[in-house]
Amino acid sequence: MIDLTQILQSLVNGVGVGLIYGLVGIGFCVIYNASGIVNFAQGVFVMLGGMVCHTLLTRLGVPLVVAAILSVPVVAGIGMIIEICVVRPMWNRGAALFAIILATIATQIMIERITILTLGDQPRTFGEFTAGGPLKIANIAISYQLFWILGCGALMVLLLFLFFTKTKAGRALRACSQNREAAALLGIPVHHMLLLSFALSAGLGAVAGILVTPTQYTAFNVGTPFGVNGFIAAIIGGFGSAGGALAGGVLLGVAQAAAIVVFGAGFKNVAALSMLLVVLLMFPQGIFSAFKSGGKGH
Amino acid sequence: MTSPNITSTDSMRHVVIPVAAVLAVLGIALSSSGYVVTLIGFAAIYGVFCTGLNFFMGYTGQASFGQNAFAALGGYGSAILTANYYWDPVLALLVSMVLSGVIAAAVGYPTLRLRGHYLAMATFALGLITYEISIEWNSLTQGYMGLSGIPPLGIGKYELVSEKHQLVVLTLVMLVGVWVSVRLRDSRFGRALRAIAGSEAAANALGINVARYKLAAFVVAAVYASVAGSLFAHFVGFISPEVFGASMVILSFTMLYLGGVGTTWGPIIGALIVSLLPEVLRGLKEMQDVVYSVVLIAILIFAPRGLSGLSVLFPRKQTGQTKQAEKNA
Amino acid sequence: MTVLSVKDVTVRFGGLVANDAISFDVSEGMLAAVIGPNGAGKTTLFNVISGAMAPTSGTVRFNGEVITGLPQYEVSQKGLVRTYQLVQLFKDLSVRANIMTGFHRVTKGGVLAALLRPRWFKEQEARIAARTEELLDFVGLRAVADMEADKLPYGQQRLLEVARALAAEPRLLLLDEPAAGLNMQETAALADVIQRVNSQGVAVVLVEHDMQLVMQIAQKIVVIDFGRKIAEGDPAQIKAHPEVIAAYLGGTEGLDD
Repeated sequence: MIDLTQILQSLVNGVGVGLIYGLVGIGFCVIYNASGIVNFAQGVFVMLGGMVCHTLLTRLGVPLVVAAILSVPVVAGIGMIIEICVVRPMWNRGAALFAIILATIATQIMIERITILTLGDQPRTFGEFTAGGPLKIANIAISYQLFWILGCGALMVLLLFLFFTKTKAGRALRACSQNREAAALLGIPVHHMLLLSFALSAGLGAVAGILVTPTQYTAFNVGTPFGVNGFIAAIIGGFGSAGGALAGGVLLGVAQAAAIVVFGAGFKNVAALSMLLVVLLMFPQGIFSAFKSGGKGH
Repeated sequence: MTSPNITSTDSMRHVVIPVAAVLAVLGIALSSSGYVVTLIGFAAIYGVFCTGLNFFMGYTGQASFGQNAFAALGGYGSAILTANYYWDPVLALLVSMVLSGVIAAAVGYPTLRLRGHYLAMATFALGLITYEISIEWNSLTQGYMGLSGIPPLGIGKYELVSEKHQLVVLTLVMLVGVWVSVRLRDSRFGRALRAIAGSEAAANALGINVARYKLAAFVVAAVYASVAGSLFAHFVGFISPEVFGASMVILSFTMLYLGGVGTTWGPIIGALIVSLLPEVLRGLKEMQDVVYSVVLIAILIFAPRGLSGLSVLFPRKQTGQTKQAEKNA
Repeated sequence: MTVLSVKDVTVRFGGLVANDAISFDVSEGMLAAVIGPNGAGKTTLFNVISGAMAPTSGTVRFNGEVITGLPQYEVSQKGLVRTYQLVQLFKDLSVRANIMTGFHRVTKGGVLAALLRPRWFKEQEARIAARTEELLDFVGLRAVADMEADKLPYGQQRLLEVARALAAEPRLLLLDEPAAGLNMQETAALADVIQRVNSQGVAVVLVEHDMQLVMQIAQKIVVIDFGRKIAEGDPAQIKAHPEVIAAYLGGTEGLDD
């Protein structure tokens, strides 16, 4: 018998992990808007965020806060390297969508393998940002980390909003997303924008990875599930708006948490992937048809 | 090509020389040590897989990142039926083939309506789902542990116990696979597929039911993948989820791109070269997947037409598909 | 007998009326043309007839059978074959291979036939090959038969598209602005091919911009403007029609250029 507490508890958990999906989803959107490319290696940034932070924490012995703050630019840098070494040459050649997707999948596998070789294949985790807890409200445990996730998620969305509306680079990036040719004609360096979008997107992924690791674990292979779930969140949110992706993520997280209560945890990933297929098949043009420019060609 | 003007040089270039080369490689393998035999065996198996992938990508101009799902179906199908239920390997292979084809049809019907990133993600998800199921469905697949004790290929009482005997059969199966793909390509069916690769609008206008033919090509590719999976199970005697994981996708695309998408023998050449890499890169054993990924990315960036782009190596008769594939790719 | 019957076809895009209750008939073996200034709704009408688009209301009959709402490939299978304004060739296939693809509608066989290659299959392939050579001669592309389609000059690409459509043995051939982008010589070659196709009993409907071509070869002309049919008749009647003159003199094109 599933009682109310259990349901509410899973809702709370679902919101937490859903926000993480949302952040990953925003990462997809940032690159997609700037370039029309869906970066299939998005999940790898989540994995790297957790792994780099853990490494800094354990090998250098820096405080968690420092490790967390240092990890983000490191992962953003890796994102920029991917843009420069993999995506840009193909983009310049006018390579087909399919080839670019394949290259990003290959990049993900490559980074995962390098991670195994350098850091090992053991799952690892680190403590919550704030010790103590969880907060108990009528038998429902709310870990302090959830508040961190909520707070940082909100902060990220706010920062992104300010970036896109108040800064020159942000406005240029938005111009690119509306019309790349026109943006180029206006003198906006579209290439720099693609680089910027990878840095941003990787940074967001890293934040997500750092935030989520204390609630579960990180390992070389956590990228794919986060990537897939982030992609679903982005689709639900219409593949354009940050708020939409975040909302989509929460919806997905809650639905998955509910599914785990009902069906058990074993087939969690199967359920998520099936949900991806269902969403894709029911909304082949994108839920708000914001995907139209990417829906053409193969 | 069914054009009436096939000359003897053409058939030399397209049939005699490649087949002779395959037999030469087989000969070298048979006179070598065990490890080389194993690698060439893998090459033949991957040759079958890539020929199917090439059918869908090269000839039909469609993309699937999830063909490993059908290799897993074939592999697990054969493994379970022969090791647990003592079926005849050939029968198990055929049944798995049919099962994969049916599942491909059922799954492909809705999925292939998708386009662009959606199609890419959906097909990728097929592979991931199968991988997850092969891990989680413990009672059937033994999860991460994998299934062992799979008998070698054979019919009735005749088992191909020696690896070299198996290699001969694998090579023959691969050649039959190539032959079938060429025969399918050079027909009304194949022309319809190439029309779809060329222009879906024009294909429609010529009365070609685009959705149905795409699905048919998908099923054909899935059947190839399934056969490759079954052969792998029997050749190695052991399978686990990792064998058919995402790295299989990268591996097979590396082969296909290296050899040249849309060519008849390109997938085979790619499979051979990439399979021999571990032997060449002995010291880099753990780096294998990294190397494959780097090679694939490099090919995608610098030589999207693969070795077949070097026209010296390849007769240019099938240029059509080559460039088409590059464009769609 | 009427091959094509367009009845009250109306297409609305939101508030915009692209086609407003257009009706006309094309009888067997006729060479008809639909003309009109840019933006008059020609292409929309064309897409409705060929099955690429369903009209908001109205019907299209082909050989007496309602075809509105059928998917385009089914319309093509019935023998109503179209070409595209922007040529849609299989660029990397040879000219010959392009034409061979066109026989899909009038041949049979799938995977099994391709594998087993029974006798009828081989005979069919031989027929296709022979007929392909005839078509190459018909449009005058034999000299470039082994060339990749996109290496051809534009005028020959058009001819190839027509030849490929002819391979499908259409009862009605729909040509979407076949002369667009062609020079005088190329247009003349195309006009010649269209007329010879027609003289073999194939009904042809061209949606065209080039007045001269239309006046020269069409037996019946339908003029549309702002989505409405404003005139229908033979070239002489159209030339004298006051509304047509108004529509065209109001635009940039004259009738007798």
